Amino acid sequence: MSAIEDLITELGRLPGVGRKTAQRLAYHLLKTPPGEARQLSRAIDRVVDEVHACSTCGNLSDSDPCEFCSDARRDGAVLCVVEEASDITAVEKSGHFDGVYHVLGGRLSPLDGMGPDDLNITALLTRLRGGVREVILATNPSVEGEATATYLHRLLRDLEGVRITRLARGLPVGGDLEYADGVTIAEAFTGRRDM
Amino acid sequence: MPHSASAHPSPQASGPEPATGAVRLGRIRLRDFRNFERLECELPAEGVMILGSNGAGKTNLLEAVYYLEVFRSFRGASDRELVRFGQEVFRVEATVEGPRGERTIAAAYSAAERRKQVEVDRREVSRLSDAIGGLGAVVFSLEDVEIVRGSPSGRRRFMDILLSLVEPGYVDALGKYRSVLSQRNEALKGGADRAQLEAWSAGLIEVGARVMEARARWVAGRAAAFDHYHSRIAGGARGVLGYRPSLGAPAGRAAAASDDEASAEGRPPSRAAWAEAFRAALERTRERERRRGVTVVGPHRDELAFTAQVGGEEERDLRTYGSGGQQRTAALALRLAEADTLRERLGREPVYLLDDVFAELDRERSGRLLQLLEEGRSGQVVLTSPKPSEVRLRGGLDVWRLRDGRLES
Repeated sequence: MSAIEDLITELGRLPGVGRKTAQRLAYHLLKTPPGEARQLSRAIDRVVDEVHACSTCGNLSDSDPCEFCSDARRDGAVLCVVEEASDITAVEKSGHFDGVYHVLGGRLSPLDGMGPDDLNITALLTRLRGGVREVILATNPSVEGEATATYLHRLLRDLEGVRITRLARGLPVGGDLEYADGVTIAEAFTGRRDM
Repeated sequence: MPHSASAHPSPQASGPEPATGAVRLGRIRLRDFRNFERLECELPAEGVMILGSNGAGKTNLLEAVYYLEVFRSFRGASDRELVRFGQEVFRVEATVEGPRGERTIAAAYSAAERRKQVEVDRREVSRLSDAIGGLGAVVFSLEDVEIVRGSPSGRRRFMDILLSLVEPGYVDALGKYRSVLSQRNEALKGGADRAQLEAWSAGLIEVGARVMEARARWVAGRAAAFDHYHSRIAGGARGVLGYRPSLGAPAGRAAAASDDEASAEGRPPSRAAWAEAFRAALERTRERERRRGVTVVGPHRDELAFTAQVGGEEERDLRTYGSGGQQRTAALALRLAEADTLRERLGREPVYLLDDVFAELDRERSGRLLQLLEEGRSGQVVLTSPKPSEVRLRGGLDVWRLRDGRLES
């Protein structure tokens, strides 16, 4: 296989990249100054060598424990359970949460061969033995995310002194009621609160 | 018991109440749909009779119109099959004067991108479930007899399509039910432990109860109307429409202390009662589902039963014991009950799309159906027929001729 073919095949393995896009990217890289292309390849090398799963929470980071687990200003007694490390970025953007995280590394999905043993659950149970006050189940509101939250809830509900919560569902902020879909409005009604 | 209108004072049983208005289809535009390259027409307010030989495209035209109601083919064809031979994209568009004023509903499908696009008033709709049922139409077709005669899945499909049109949240509940079910079945096949199965059961019960409650409520609400239409078309024989949930029906809510016929049977069970019954049924079938590797109870195994007096004897299951004519009668009564449901939801008459329905009926039944379609019903009619017929609706419809996908008025 030629060097170009090799690169196209590798790029084509990336999610959301088809053969055509892979070709475009490959020829783009060939046209850019060699320094820039090398920068990309070095960046890839670096993440592969330096980024690992945090041994406490499973977050992907170049330090262990990760920047959240080692931050003394964060409240270690409140745990936010998410499906993927990338979900942390979304929660952090809100600037609203100052507890710590726990990354499951996926969700229950028998059709994809994902069972409880494939999720980072044992480490979660270990963490809960030491002074955790609240566990926020922040898996996605999808069929699989809900089943994962239900599974975890049943597993954790008998733990003494630990409050188990689930993120609320409802209307997006800044959205018009008129343009929200029926299901979202129905959820918002179910989850309405006193004022 | 002889049937008389006075025994059933409710409006459902004594024929529809005159609706305040009717949905009116105006301009219809098709592009590369089935055998239509381009077609543009303006429907008369009362409707039209469309004549054409076999293969001219009569059913295709009704299929195109009804596509704007459910965004799929009522004949079960895939979207790809609807694209005209050798083309990539079809488009269907119609203006509709309905409960929400005059609107333009359009749908397009691209075979190359495998993408369906739905627009209401030129604005793309992000969720199909929000646009579904926006037209307000009911189709009567010769294939309807298969609902009565065919497999249980066809009867579930009937309920699912109708409830998707009239019951907010039904489409989404059904879609979720299917996803949870396939995950749960996969977990069963893989020998998952009890805790895992229960995680999937929770979701299954939540949305499954929603589906069963809606189905039971619809059947209970329309049984009297079905009986009425059935006996009218059949010339006396009563017909019974029954919901047969795979898990057995939970007890209904306590009936009011009254002799009134409607309340004597009690109100249909609540969603919570269905959830409880579903939970108990899953518990009961734990061993069996584990052995078989599939979920054995739930709305995916529900049945709709049609029974009627056959030959003056006791009531019998029409699927097994009914003649072709008796099965056809039940199918027509079912569509009339569907039309009533739509009328109630829309607050006006739906459009009646009648695909050659008089062809297979004897003279008597044909005449009685015609009467039912006229009595208190003022909805616009699109009737197809292979040849000029004596059928007179809405004081005589305009006649259009269809040949090779072209209209000749």
